[in-house]
Amino acid sequence: MTRWGMVIDIGTCVGCQACTVACKTENQSPQDAWYAPVIEWESGVFPDATLNYLPTLCNHCEDAPCVTACPSGAITRRDDGIVIADEDICIGSRACMAACPYGAINFFEDSGTASPPAALAEPQASVPERYAHEKHVHGAISKCTYCAHRIDYGVEHGLEVGVHPLATPACVVSCPAECRIFGDLDDPESNVSRYLTEKGPGQILRPDAGTDPKTKYVNLQ
Amino acid sequence: MSNVDLSPGSRSTPLPQNSFMDQFNLEARTQRVWDLSHAVWFTLMGLGGGVFLAGRILNLTDDLGHWFGIPMVDIVSFVAIAIGGLILVADLGRPLQFWRAFANIRTSWISWGAWSDLVFLTVAGLLVLPELTLGGSQPFNGLGWEADGSDATGLALEILAGAAAVIVMTYAGAVLARPRSIPYWNSPAVPIQFLLSSAATSLATVLLLMAINDQPISGGHMALLGTLTAGLLATMAVHLLTHRDAPGKQQSLNSLLRGPHRRVFVGMVLVVGTLIPTLLAFIGAGVPEARAALSMVAFALLMPGGLLLRLTTLRVGIFPPVHIPSSRQ
Repeated sequence: MTRWGMVIDIGTCVGCQACTVACKTENQSPQDAWYAPVIEWESGVFPDATLNYLPTLCNHCEDAPCVTACPSGAITRRDDGIVIADEDICIGSRACMAACPYGAINFFEDSGTASPPAALAEPQASVPERYAHEKHVHGAISKCTYCAHRIDYGVEHGLEVGVHPLATPACVVSCPAECRIFGDLDDPESNVSRYLTEKGPGQILRPDAGTDPKTKYVNLQ
Repeated sequence: MSNVDLSPGSRSTPLPQNSFMDQFNLEARTQRVWDLSHAVWFTLMGLGGGVFLAGRILNLTDDLGHWFGIPMVDIVSFVAIAIGGLILVADLGRPLQFWRAFANIRTSWISWGAWSDLVFLTVAGLLVLPELTLGGSQPFNGLGWEADGSDATGLALEILAGAAAVIVMTYAGAVLARPRSIPYWNSPAVPIQFLLSSAATSLATVLLLMAINDQPISGGHMALLGTLTAGLLATMAVHLLTHRDAPGKQQSLNSLLRGPHRRVFVGMVLVVGTLIPTLLAFIGAGVPEARAALSMVAFALLMPGGLLLRLTTLRVGIFPPVHIPSSRQ
């Protein structure tokens, strides 16, 4: 059984936010909605101060609290483990946002008008912003899908998922430091399984939440 | 090129789409989406379900006035739940899709709530329909059951409506308590507090109606009210004193007891909204001539106390950081 997952090696992340931008471009996410932000924080005291980075995204949990909380059934977990949201079914209760311990779900506020807000009508508004406004459903949530459309394309066309650029999440493809690795967690020969074998079992965010995430971290301190 | 207003207080960018969290900072974050409208919704649902149950359990439906032949306690109940439901629908991102909220009854407490609201309003409405009086006649009198539940069909409807009312009173707390994302909410104490607060406020409402209608309030009624509010106080104390150092809950407790919500929570919820009504209720249990006045005061304190309990609970819903670095532990 395929179970897609991601490993993020914090030790190699340089904090360039290329993943953040690649995700935004790939998914045309709504203005100010971020599916894959890189969290930054400082530690230590000068001259031994350090800037730390923590790339994040939906953890695609095995026991996903957003799926449990959603009253309309808009958020579901596919057979391959990817947690996806159907914006047409979403009613905008935002129960999933309160339930997600990772803040990985975004709400596309309804402006109450059928036409784009005035800011998007201005000449400096970017094409992606205009496109996103038409693509995403007002009053509904949106989230990372592990770029399910790319994975499905790869499976359909016999490409190796997690290796071929067209069959790999955009954030993984864009990472110059190769700190994100994607593949089948149930396949011991996949790149992601081999990486975890080499580096250890991997750590998770908010272990107290008991969500069994499929996004795992290496060198998390 | 457009001018950008950089004066203090100006806002050149819209609010973040994810108003629950600032996604680029590693800090504990207060949820900012569920607020006053949700607190009103929770309060009205609890009041509506509780007033129906209190009227039926204490057998007071016929003594507290009628409106179009329907007992006033049932009218209060229906109106509270209907308004609460409308607030819930209005708050949805896509209100016209509200019917989809009934879909995930397998795991979602909001779905349970939607169904219990619908079942309650339908069944309780059917139950009292034979008593509906229009222009001096009762057009539904021949429906075949007694509105006071004194025959088998009426009793079955009453039990079904009562069960739905219990879920209506409980589900809001369960919505908050189930996920582990916000440690202050993730406790059985939250739904128990909401349930006890609803029961106490509902009983106080019924006692208010009794006082208005010159019905005698017994010492048992006042003692029951005092017991409910004392139970609420005890539950709040347990919730405030347990798991105090858990990430997220620590910040919530700081905000409630030492931070910006201190005056409202300690003053209005704990003391004015719960402790004083408890004392008044027990005093009233022993002083028959003061019961009517004391029950009115208790109602006047419990109602805002219950609303503010829910509002402060929502406002101190804090997500701990997604990761706590070893350097900060």
